Amino acid sequence: MLIAFADRALGDDATALAAARDSVAARLGPAAMIDAAAVIAGFDGITRIADATGIPLEPPKAEAVADLRATLGLDRFLDAKS
Amino acid sequence: MTSIRSDLASAQADAWDAIGAPGTWWSGAERVAIAAETRHATGCRLCAARKAALSPSMVAGDHDSLGVLPASAIEAIHRIRTDPGRLGHAWYRGLIEAGLGEERYVELVSVIAVTVAIDTFRRAAGLAPWPLPHAQAGEPSRRRPAGAKPGVAWMATLLPDDCSAEDPDLYQADPGPRRRGGGYVHHALSLVPRSMMHWWDMFEVMYLPSAAMRDFGREYRAVSHAQIELLASRVAALNQCVY
Repeated sequence: MLIAFADRALGDDATALAAARDSVAARLGPAAMIDAAAVIAGFDGITRIADATGIPLEPPKAEAVADLRATLGLDRFLDAKS
Repeated sequence: MTSIRSDLASAQADAWDAIGAPGTWWSGAERVAIAAETRHATGCRLCAARKAALSPSMVAGDHDSLGVLPASAIEAIHRIRTDPGRLGHAWYRGLIEAGLGEERYVELVSVIAVTVAIDTFRRAAGLAPWPLPHAQAGEPSRRRPAGAKPGVAWMATLLPDDCSAEDPDLYQADPGPRRRGGGYVHHALSLVPRSMMHWWDMFEVMYLPSAAMRDFGREYRAVSHAQIELLASRVAALNQCVY
């Protein structure tokens, strides 16, 4: 339900977004819908700051998740940057 | 009618109004133009073609722009708005060599981020978008922090140990309202301190202040820590952010 809300909030389908919003409000409450929307929107902004400034992952974090990144192949995404 | 907690409504309203105020490197009118171009970019045909291409550099052409800002700023705004996950250092260097300037670029990023965050919030919550803020008169201050130096990001940054009394309270000054620490994402906009504060003073109200992030004994929002991090991770994945 929350993932669907995030997906719809960043998508183009206004009808699907309205349904996802109503679902969150009905199950978690209107205040939770607002706070979820705020988190989604905040991260829609901050991901752009991270990507547009080229900051790397902090070394301790990179070390801690090295195995996970390798398993998921996340570092391959860096090859698509131009 | 949808009720928004007062601190969130206030933080977003302050951030929106601040777009129209003179910045450090752009005038108020230019900052409003950056916000307008950020909205306009979502309908750009070149951006749509680049987004669909294996590599954005494979597709040449001109952006559908409002024509107010320099070409390098238009390119930056459109790519950051429509395809942020594939930005690279070579692309950034090209913008700087074209004359954008790293300080102006950083401030531009902050205005884009604030615009995107507020527009996405209003849409997600089922609210009408705000009209563009009013552009206020005045000159940019054009002050670069003396302690800023290269190393962490593509551009110079002002790290906590390099701040001086001339700089505003960006990090963990005590007493001070801000408790931002050593994460590189905190440093990202620090070349333009006012831009860093513009973003973070709003973002922490939308998400969580640093001290609350790992305070798992208390919930600060109507969604839990776990739900917040699930949403954050999903958005990062959708935007292909690997930070």
